[in-house]
Amino acid sequence: MLSPAAADLASSQQIRTLYRLNDPALSELGLEDLPGDLLVLLRDALSVDTAAILLLDPETDQLVARAAKGIEEEVEQGVRIPIGLGFAGRIAAERVAIFIADVDHADILNPILREKGIQSLLGVPLIVEGDLIGVLHVGSLKPRVFTARDAAMLQSAAARAAPGIEGARLLSALEHEHGVAMLLQRSLLPKRLVDAVGVSAASRYVPASDEVGGDWYDLFELPGGRLGVAIGDVVGHGVRAAAFMGQLRTALRAYALEGHGPARTLELVDHYVQTMPDFSMATAAYAVLDPETGALAVASSGHLPAIIVGHGEARLVSFPVEPPLGAVACGSGEDYETRLAIGETLFFYTDGLVERRGVPLTDSIDELLQIVAPAASAEEVCRLAIEQLALEELPDDVAIVALQNCEIPADLHLRMPANPGALASVRRILRRWLRHLGAGDDDTTEITLAVSEACANAVEHAYSPAPAEFEVRASESDGEVTIVVRDTGRWRASRHRDRGRGLKIINAAMDAVEVSSAAAGTEVVMRRGIHR
Amino acid sequence: MKLADLQLSSRDRAVVARVTGEIDLSNAGYLERTLLEATPNDTISLVLDLSELDYLDSAGIQIIYRIRESLRSRGQILALVIPSTSPANAALRLAGVDRHVDAVETIDDALRGSA
Repeated sequence: MLSPAAADLASSQQIRTLYRLNDPALSELGLEDLPGDLLVLLRDALSVDTAAILLLDPETDQLVARAAKGIEEEVEQGVRIPIGLGFAGRIAAERVAIFIADVDHADILNPILREKGIQSLLGVPLIVEGDLIGVLHVGSLKPRVFTARDAAMLQSAAARAAPGIEGARLLSALEHEHGVAMLLQRSLLPKRLVDAVGVSAASRYVPASDEVGGDWYDLFELPGGRLGVAIGDVVGHGVRAAAFMGQLRTALRAYALEGHGPARTLELVDHYVQTMPDFSMATAAYAVLDPETGALAVASSGHLPAIIVGHGEARLVSFPVEPPLGAVACGSGEDYETRLAIGETLFFYTDGLVERRGVPLTDSIDELLQIVAPAASAEEVCRLAIEQLALEELPDDVAIVALQNCEIPADLHLRMPANPGALASVRRILRRWLRHLGAGDDDTTEITLAVSEACANAVEHAYSPAPAEFEVRASESDGEVTIVVRDTGRWRASRHRDRGRGLKIINAAMDAVEVSSAAAGTEVVMRRGIHR
Repeated sequence: MKLADLQLSSRDRAVVARVTGEIDLSNAGYLERTLLEATPNDTISLVLDLSELDYLDSAGIQIIYRIRESLRSRGQILALVIPSTSPANAALRLAGVDRHVDAVETIDDALRGSA
């Protein structure tokens, strides 16, 4: 029993507690900070051993321990109590304060309270604007009587704290989801765009002002030096959309790397989407560029038309559009074949870039054509497209990616990773460079073979603690091309393969060959006159 | 759009393997294993058709020799189809082996020769 003096003391402390509960700063605390403030206040004011907040998880109709002071294990172990059952469950179901003087252990669902030997409990519902959001309860290890004044105190604390708790909960849920979705989105977009000679690329991703969505782009090198560029848009927002986007992007890239063309790749992605349990709809477009010839193959599953920008003009690529992914099981469309001339840029975008309230889509796409028309590079296309957006009130996220077929420079300088996959890329660039010079078929075939052999040698004896590279420089003067292949390793006559045969090819194909080996690396200088 | 494509078919007691695209250091080893696995013990010969191949390098020439050697040890024959005007033949010519590999112009020539 409390003595009168102690009761008076408690009462004045309770008044101070109530006063402090009015502190507006309390409603700005996140749930992580609540135990340290509200619950400590309550625990001290009511002389109890534990104070805890359980919040309603509407998806499961369970109360989940979210904050505790005294018996923190409740939160750590994520205790869940179904509505209507046990002490807290009954408070939530009946929306009344419940006092248990001597805990009937059979009635307590929370195993931790039982283990810790809680004897007396007092709990009240947390209600905001008529909606139950959780339960606030206190407990004592010694049997004790909670008075009507204690109950009023707790109820009062609950009433004042509930809006703040709800605000903090919503905010933290929102921030959490936004943060997770953003992280997911960021981690799923390519870190680095391809760095290939003869093309240049640029991209942007801008989340909507309030949340991320399922927009994505991708850009990757295909075997043989072709480039794949993709864009897509998953219906919906948040973590789910971002996660689904990641699956789509991965599936598309995997099928594309298998060597399928655009229409077939999208058809396979569609099959994949159809097998997913609760898939969302999505649109996507995929294009393959052969930088050697400028040949461009495009296909679209319900995606907005691509744009080709170049020489002061912008035009729509009028490819046939198949239904969106996951819409209907449909057959394969055909690749739309066109050309990306030297200097031209292919531009993919998602609807967030062009959708404006009250403006027909065709009008805003026309507007976009005018905006990007002056761009001279992939980077500039992206910059101009984003500049016209009202970023502070973006209703939908935006993904854009641009790929330019660049002029091949008169003097070629390539730095390639020392792996066998780089050889085909070197050949493609070199063939394009030679054609540009006006070299005939025989010259092109034989010079390419010689240079590829020299590069293969550089790849085979590349050794370096850092990622190894090799260099190719090519120039032309008075009808003679000079090509230099340099690496950081030592020339080896032979290892696994018959390098002697490679050297024989180089010597036979070129007019003059010099090999110089030094500690820093090996240099092969090759010359040959070309017949135009 | 892979670097090389391989089409396999069976004719009489020969496996006909048609490779298109490019063969270089990056895929030669893989191609060698695939071709040897694709030739069962009860076939007499493997006909390797490189007439539509766009590129062949010294690593590719090397596997031709190795495949021929592996088949010979199993009592089988490698027949090569490399027309004299093909890019593959340009590589053989530059490497100085075009007269040593016993290539023929067409698949029919190869089947006649190995039957």
